[in-house]
Amino acid sequence: MDLVWRVRTAGGRLVGEPAGRVDETTWEAFSAHLTAAVREASAAGAPLILDLSQLDYMSSRGLRALTIARREAGAQTSITLAAPNARMREIFAISRYDKLFAIVDDVDSDA
Amino acid sequence: MLVRFWGTRGSLPVAQRADAIQAKIAHALVAAGGRRFADEAEADAFARANLDFAAYGAYGGATSCVEIEGADGAFLVCDLGSGLREFGIDSVRRIAGGHPPVYHVFLSHLHWDHIMGFPFFGPAFNPAATIVIHSGHADAETALRRQQEEISFPVPFDWLRAKFQFVVHPPGQPFDVAGVTVTLVAQHHSHDSYGYRFEKGGRAVIYSTDSEHKVENMDAEAAFEGFFAEADLVICDTMYSLGDTVSLKQDWGHSSNIVAVDLCHAAGAKRLALFHHEPTYTDQDIQRMHAETVRYEELVRADRPQLEVICAYDGLEVAV
Repeated sequence: MDLVWRVRTAGGRLVGEPAGRVDETTWEAFSAHLTAAVREASAAGAPLILDLSQLDYMSSRGLRALTIARREAGAQTSITLAAPNARMREIFAISRYDKLFAIVDDVDSDA
Repeated sequence: MLVRFWGTRGSLPVAQRADAIQAKIAHALVAAGGRRFADEAEADAFARANLDFAAYGAYGGATSCVEIEGADGAFLVCDLGSGLREFGIDSVRRIAGGHPPVYHVFLSHLHWDHIMGFPFFGPAFNPAATIVIHSGHADAETALRRQQEEISFPVPFDWLRAKFQFVVHPPGQPFDVAGVTVTLVAQHHSHDSYGYRFEKGGRAVIYSTDSEHKVENMDAEAAFEGFFAEADLVICDTMYSLGDTVSLKQDWGHSSNIVAVDLCHAAGAKRLALFHHEPTYTDQDIQRMHAETVRYEELVRADRPQLEVICAYDGLEVAV
């Protein structure tokens, strides 16, 4: 399944919208889009919200791409994960990524 | 081939304390709910059928030692952790039954928890025994000799009576050992580590422990997907959560349960054995990690065949 990526601005935030799934065939595209979004958000001084509502799931490849993005973002640009489906919530819990990233119920929530 | 786990714990041997055993007994008594049993065999059958593994059994606490049975007239054993002592005793029993006293050892690396059983390996004192140490490390002999120097141990290496041979192998070049084809792969770990692929009769077993798959080097994982390809059993370092491996325990040299699942999925492997358990984990912790790994495999399986996820414990035997 292909990964679709869109990005938009809303209320002073940059919102990345991946759709599909992130696995061993799509993680590189996901990581490239995510890194570009981090740089765009950093340049604009805006927080980055990752709207996961259209994401079926991500494997460890996608999770590790999140870590790469976090390192790229540094301390000055926040990354918030929004609206994960039930499957993604389980994956965040099993991987313990729910302890590493702010996860909110919807895109408009405050982290 | 038959894979027999003699030691499955990572880093440090672990012994059950009295309070852990007492908790298991109390749990079993509550589960029995006042039933009466005619004898211990009947009680055992009830416990086996009704208690989970953390209550009825134990994952054990010996460090890495895995036997692969099925070679022609020789013992094959991966790593010399503290589980080696029990393997040595059992191999003497089998030698008494006619098995040749020939041992082929395959070292993942030379860290203490992977060689600490060697000074207690009884067959090393048997003048009729031949012990061949296979490694990717040129300093394997130095590590074993140094461990038995006077500052650390009362019996020096030169007092051992078996015939020893140390063989260094380059990664990626298959070689034959007693009818089993063996190949090494280089892994990321302090002072390097090596994984092994054992093949015989169209079956393949992978032993890959103390291997960190770095977050910034995911491209390199294609080599592991190839090394694990279509394996019947992959024994994999799953010491930490993925979150730990990218944060506090980054560069500690270990992998996670979910990276192991993803590698096995991509490789088309059939069965994954979780291995090198974190020494601070209780039996309940390990059982929970196993259940979470089974669930993760289901969540990301998509249209692949199911990858069976088992959890190694001291004493487990797996037919391949």
